Amino acid sequence: MASKINPRFAEELKQYGSVNFNACYNCGNCTAVCSLSTPEQSFPREMVRLSALGLEDELKQSLKPWECYYCGECTTQCPQTANPGELMMSLRRWLTAQYDWTGLSGLLYRSLSFTIAALLLVAAGVLLFARSTGFDAERLIHVGHLFEMLAIGTVFLVIFVPNLLRMWYFTIVKQKVRVPLKSYFSALPELFVNMFTQKRAKDCDEDDNFRWLEHMVLVFAYLSLLFTTVFLNWFGSEHLFVILLGYLESLLVFVITIHFVSGRIKRNKSLNKFSQPSDWLFVIWLLLMGLSAFLVRLFIDLQLLENNIWMHILHLTVLAQWALIIVPFGKWTHFLYRSFAHYFVKIKTMQEA
Amino acid sequence: MNEEKKIIHYDALVVGGGIAGGEAALNLANSGYRVLLVEKERSLGGKMILLSKVFPTLDCSACITTPKVSEIARHKNITIFTESEVTTIDKRSENDFVAQITKKPRYVHVEDCTACQLCEQACPVSVRDEYQQGLIGRKAAFIPFSIANPKAAAIDIENCTLCGACEKVCPTHCIDFTMQPEQFELHARTVVMATGFNLFDPLEIPRYGYGQHKNVITSMQMEREIAPTRPFNTILRPGDGKVPDKIAYVLCAGSRDASVGNPICSQICCMYSIKQAQLLMGALPMADVTIYYINIRSFGKGFEEFYQQAKGMGVSFVKGKIGTIKEKENGNLILRYEDISEGVVKEAEHDMVVLSVGVKSNPDAGKIFPQGALKLDPHRFVAQTDLMGSPAKTSIDGVFVAGTASAPMDIPDSILSAGSASSEAISYIKQHQEA
Repeated sequence: MASKINPRFAEELKQYGSVNFNACYNCGNCTAVCSLSTPEQSFPREMVRLSALGLEDELKQSLKPWECYYCGECTTQCPQTANPGELMMSLRRWLTAQYDWTGLSGLLYRSLSFTIAALLLVAAGVLLFARSTGFDAERLIHVGHLFEMLAIGTVFLVIFVPNLLRMWYFTIVKQKVRVPLKSYFSALPELFVNMFTQKRAKDCDEDDNFRWLEHMVLVFAYLSLLFTTVFLNWFGSEHLFVILLGYLESLLVFVITIHFVSGRIKRNKSLNKFSQPSDWLFVIWLLLMGLSAFLVRLFIDLQLLENNIWMHILHLTVLAQWALIIVPFGKWTHFLYRSFAHYFVKIKTMQEA
Repeated sequence: MNEEKKIIHYDALVVGGGIAGGEAALNLANSGYRVLLVEKERSLGGKMILLSKVFPTLDCSACITTPKVSEIARHKNITIFTESEVTTIDKRSENDFVAQITKKPRYVHVEDCTACQLCEQACPVSVRDEYQQGLIGRKAAFIPFSIANPKAAAIDIENCTLCGACEKVCPTHCIDFTMQPEQFELHARTVVMATGFNLFDPLEIPRYGYGQHKNVITSMQMEREIAPTRPFNTILRPGDGKVPDKIAYVLCAGSRDASVGNPICSQICCMYSIKQAQLLMGALPMADVTIYYINIRSFGKGFEEFYQQAKGMGVSFVKGKIGTIKEKENGNLILRYEDISEGVVKEAEHDMVVLSVGVKSNPDAGKIFPQGALKLDPHRFVAQTDLMGSPAKTSIDGVFVAGTASAPMDIPDSILSAGSASSEAISYIKQHQEA
């Protein structure tokens, strides 16, 4: 099969945050120092090569960018300062844009002004809606709750299902992987284990498990906060247990994200050195989500919300921006694509075995 | 300390008594100029005198260096200061350089010493032998190495316990603990900088485990193991004295590596590793030798043929930089790398690993001249201000650079460079001679 070369690929990838990868002189040091690289899945040098050559189709069909959890060792030890770690990161952004059928992901990653415009548009929508209700607290809480449920369902069906099918098509169908349907079931544990524990991230940074632990706690806190607000109706609940649970979850979310944001400000790790707008957006909005949810419930409990409805409108704005922009088209998707990548890799190995 | 400063006059000052400085001094002396050659070590000959054989001819390095060093030492126009340092050089005007030189005490009167080694036998102090690259020990009263020049005992005063045992056995009474540093003020008409290079210190790459894994050695240590004046008379791995049979070479250990601050190619490591591999194939016919490389740079005369010859002899060449080296309990080493030809990460077990350490600049050259008058290049080698037209010229008119003080280079290039520096120096003296 003839390979198609895109000579402008480096320029394109730069918009997704790649740094200096053309300096690579192909020594393989990055692959050798990577603690996740195995004889079956050797990276990142291959990805650097494919990117330097502009072999888009090969990149699109590869799952290797998702295998990397960015400990930054390859970048620290790279003799050419070609920054393979950041290349893998930018490839993940680029792949996210490739999987997305709407094309909005790519637009958001490439253009900061488009991102800001989208955020403002959503904020304006929320404000207009709030005005139409006459700033009625009860109504706002009720609609906010309905909106959450509706958004989850819609985003899942309209965006995630088609995008995951596209990912499957690129990485499994196009790669001519043929496995019996049974394999799709027997590989399922791989999907869920990786989705909820990120167990491979634990092997990523051999000396420091804290980053993995912190991330896992955040994932659990975020998912259970979602569950508590949507299905246990935290803001409307009278149960002490539910109320306290919600407080704990939202507290964990904003405390951990404050730590993440400060890391990115201090640039204390390889991972934090080249933050893109999409990274900032993801982590700051998650922080705002946790914090505003916490405060809304606090205002409810202190009976302040009636006179301070702005607090809830603020929360609703953050929520809407999160649910309509960041979750379907932004960095949130790495939660799905990464776990599905491990699932697909597992399926592939089943074919080979 | 002897505060009295002796004032001396020479035509030329050569800083550094390695192969480049020696060659430059000889050329100047043979043209009738009086030369002061200043060497900071205890012997002339620099790094070359310690090498085994030279590439690509496989000539014995010592057999080339020793006669040359003797010629330098016996030349009537050359005065040698060993264990001496040029602290400053001031240019007063053209043809008028004033240098301050400190000559450290050897505690042995060289002219009386017969190199009988009785002091060595008497000395109770054992320390690592730096000339054998720490592979074996030496005494604190010692002859630096068997082909050193001057071949005379020296006292390592840092480690000496001042027990006086050497003094008692010395038949010529040449040991003198009352010796003091001497200060000289030299007036010279030209200066040749031949300050050489430093080897890369592999402790800067902790993932290679040098200094922790016992059977990871540097190429300079291997050079000693295969030299005619070698310490063990065979090849041994230092951990347990076993004769190795699966040896790995790690190329670009500290060269072409921006992560350790040395992004440039050292120019010699590919070839000296190939040379050592060939010598090892001779010394240990049953051993496997594998060279892990990024690119083999065999660019010089006869180099590519030499590389092909090594392949023909059965040396394995694997493209892929070594990422990490781990030690097994039996002292063997696990090398992790990506085999670039297959794109697959692999691990290989070897019983001895040689780090082909690179060439780093010797930034001392820049410190000798006041206010940074001698410009250095970005890698802190002496800058060549007219690289294409007159490569021996530096940023100071009348100061010339020879050998690896200007850049990494091999022995033939160092000698060529010394020839260029000495003829530039002669022409400078002539141009500015008072009519």
